[in-house]
Amino acid sequence: MFLFAFTDFIGRFHPLLVHLPIGILLFTILLQWLSTKEKWAALQSVIPLGYLFGAASAIASCITGYLLGSAGEYDETVLNLHQWMGILTAFTAIAGYLFSHNQQNLKYIAWAILGLVSITGHLGGTLTHGEGYLTKAFTSANADSLAIKKPLTNAQEALVYADVIEPILKEKCFSCHAASKQKGGLRLDNPEWVLKGGKNGVVLKPNNAIGSELYHRILLDPIEEKHMPPKGKPQVTEKERILLEWWIAQGGDFKKQTKQLEQSPAIKQALASLEQAPVKLNTDLPKEAVAAAPIASLNILQSKGVTVLPVAKGSHYLTANFVNLTSLDASGIDALLALKQQLIWLKMPKMQLASADWKKLSALTNLRKLDLSYSNINQEAITSFITMKSLFYLNLVGTKVNGTALIALKELPELRELYLSGTKIATADFETLKKTLTKTTIDTGGYQVVTLATDTTLIKKQTTLK
Amino acid sequence: MSHNNQQLIDAANKAILEQQTRRHFFRECVTGMGAMAMGSLLGGCNWLGSKDQSGLAAINTNPLMAQAPHFAPKAKSVIYLHMAGAPSQLELFDYKPDLQKLDGQDCPQSLLEGKKFAFIRGVPKMMGPQANFKQRGQSGAWISDHLPHLATVADELAFLKAVQTDQFNHGPAQLLMHTGSARLGRPSMGAWATYGLGSENSNLPGFVVLTSGGKFPDAGKSVWGSGFLPSVYQGVQCRSEGDPVLFIKDPAGMNRDLRKASIDAINEANRQTYEEFKDPETVARIAQYEMAYRMQIAVPDVMNINDEPPSIHDMYGTQPGKSCFANNVLLARKLVEKGVRFVQLFDWGWDSHGTDENLAIDYGFVNKCRSMDKPVTALLLDLKQRGLLDETLVVWGGEFGRTPMQENRDGKKMPFKGRDHHTEAFTIWMAGGGIQKGVSFGETDEIGYSAISGKVDAYDIQATILNQLGFDHEKLVYPFQGRSFRLTDVHGRVINEIVA
Repeated sequence: MFLFAFTDFIGRFHPLLVHLPIGILLFTILLQWLSTKEKWAALQSVIPLGYLFGAASAIASCITGYLLGSAGEYDETVLNLHQWMGILTAFTAIAGYLFSHNQQNLKYIAWAILGLVSITGHLGGTLTHGEGYLTKAFTSANADSLAIKKPLTNAQEALVYADVIEPILKEKCFSCHAASKQKGGLRLDNPEWVLKGGKNGVVLKPNNAIGSELYHRILLDPIEEKHMPPKGKPQVTEKERILLEWWIAQGGDFKKQTKQLEQSPAIKQALASLEQAPVKLNTDLPKEAVAAAPIASLNILQSKGVTVLPVAKGSHYLTANFVNLTSLDASGIDALLALKQQLIWLKMPKMQLASADWKKLSALTNLRKLDLSYSNINQEAITSFITMKSLFYLNLVGTKVNGTALIALKELPELRELYLSGTKIATADFETLKKTLTKTTIDTGGYQVVTLATDTTLIKKQTTLK
Repeated sequence: MSHNNQQLIDAANKAILEQQTRRHFFRECVTGMGAMAMGSLLGGCNWLGSKDQSGLAAINTNPLMAQAPHFAPKAKSVIYLHMAGAPSQLELFDYKPDLQKLDGQDCPQSLLEGKKFAFIRGVPKMMGPQANFKQRGQSGAWISDHLPHLATVADELAFLKAVQTDQFNHGPAQLLMHTGSARLGRPSMGAWATYGLGSENSNLPGFVVLTSGGKFPDAGKSVWGSGFLPSVYQGVQCRSEGDPVLFIKDPAGMNRDLRKASIDAINEANRQTYEEFKDPETVARIAQYEMAYRMQIAVPDVMNINDEPPSIHDMYGTQPGKSCFANNVLLARKLVEKGVRFVQLFDWGWDSHGTDENLAIDYGFVNKCRSMDKPVTALLLDLKQRGLLDETLVVWGGEFGRTPMQENRDGKKMPFKGRDHHTEAFTIWMAGGGIQKGVSFGETDEIGYSAISGKVDAYDIQATILNQLGFDHEKLVYPFQGRSFRLTDVHGRVINEIVA
């Protein structure tokens, strides 16, 4: 037992010792190259010494490495390769010492060592840090690991293992119990491995949570060596703990949906908390990209006091608000029409334009929202707006449009909201309109808040103490 | 004669010297030495571009210029109706029939252990709901008879029934609600919004505050202050009676041209000061002068409710010529219509402790409800019929809730029925602005004492409001004292459960 502990202790010097042969051998190769120059020719005498020390430290690394590797927590194929490459490096270094008198041979040996040290070193790095450590910066795996736990859209429809349990294992266990490392011989990144268990036996006993090492180890006091995840690593949260317990107690199934298992209120709540309401963004925007709007036109509008802005930072789609303007000259209209690709929201309350100018606006075919409240928009112009196929919001509050002209709006497939309060449209026309524009919510306004007696009277103590 | 002139010049020079304070000396030291060091480091490689250019670019940028948010917004404006003093959720929205059964009984020890209250001492009595509740609309939201009008628009509202705070005094709680910190010094929500969005209407401020109820909110003007943001972003307080903004009228005998000329001169002087010291506050000052000049015309126009038709006055229940909540609510609609981003209304008088008739749950509180019910309902309907409700987020709430126990200030029986400040659960509602209609999120226990699910706090509400305006609350930051600050500090979660 003591011997085992001792060899284990010695083995743990490997990560320290490996750096000696790497440094010594590489430095020796550097000196060897320098010694070919006339000025540094004197260095030739130290080369054999370099290879000797390099070989000695390489042998020490091999021995400690063997002891560490036999503890068995590493991927076997990589370990094997690393071991043999290390041994080969040591032998080559010895050869370097033995053949140091022959310049030509020494050159080949130097190249060989350069290659072997790189390969062995990389394999060693792979063993400690895991597969793909070196190139992580270039792979999207990096981003994936940050978004391990994707919120579920419906926790009851989700798969109990794949959607609930595995993400917990992935976050808290995979770093030591998956492809790159199998501490204690345990792999958890696949149901088969989970069932197989580690070198101390099975870890999952269906219907017996407390008897399953997979769960029991979490419950141990964190100061105990067997507690999992080890002290200092991210721990299993209370919510995750009850989910694991529930899953094992309910049979440790890998295929079922959560709703097929019995759920206590606490479990229901824990499951529900995995469900995050998805972030809801404004979806009324065009999906396709668009070129930037002509700067000259933007400047013209801005100089007239129009607020023209991108709908969001970095977007080329625009929103324009004519809040302080009640008229627009020809250059302004031209500037506005130049934005017809980009302009999707337009507000022109109280705008007074000539009929011909209103009609020109029908070229703004990309508009989604159009507010013309209290403007002098007329029948003809509004009929010409049927070109705005994406329009979903049209505000004609307080305008003089009439009901018959608005029938034309049935040509607008996306129109969802139409505001008509304060117009002179007859009730009968409203009814026709509502029947024609079936997909549109028509708000005819005229809401009242009736005045109740209580609205204006104060309740006092005297009056109620009768 | 020349002697006289010499005297004048000496006096002028002396005045200039007196203007030079210790502060100037330090500034010159710091900027001068820094510039020298920087100059030698960069070796005149023009790495930062020419100095003139960068200076001019900065000063020509109006800090209130309209800007795009992070993502396409659902709401363009916010009207925040703050019932200062904290209305009782138990008499309005959080219906607890079980509390009625406990009415008059001693409060169980379990609710009192380890808890602190503002005024309750010893063992208070439980107090049942002092109002009749009904389910309203298709959504079946519980709204009491105190709000007969709001009950008719229940299907427009999204209730947050489990709002929590950690401050049980008005001032700190209001600061937390509006600035994200219970202590002074942080910018208010409206200031952040204006900092991010600028003002859509160049003639009006981006953030306007209206108060009613005869008193300012307890936290004072800091709840609409700009904190460490440039002061141009602070809320502009307008009055609904008399001059809307004080000291903005030209004095008698001064015409608008002369005013313009003097403002131009002042701005030129400020511009030179800015060139010298590069203090962003100077830019703020220039922008404020320019805006004040434009506001002279625009504000009296927008703040005049007399041009509204009688039907609208009836609807809101306004009292033209007086200062009241209803007038402010109507003004809020007018301001939003004109592109103001953030309108904040504070109505004082909701602190129903039961210490006197005005602050009694069964008297003063009922009257406050009556004065609030009609205008708020009218606001929602008016915005709706103008097609503005979808892009205007209306938020209603107080700074905390009220206890299910009757207050027993200093352990004595009170002259009137009242409730103490309560931090563990209260109700706030939102409407319009891309929020779901007719929903309720969060639950309290059977007596309305604590929140049991769907808990949200001030930061979550702030994050949600910013989200509706198109901001990622984690990215709307301002560098100050060496780190980037944000409204929600290190907290906040968008309440996606109520976002449409």
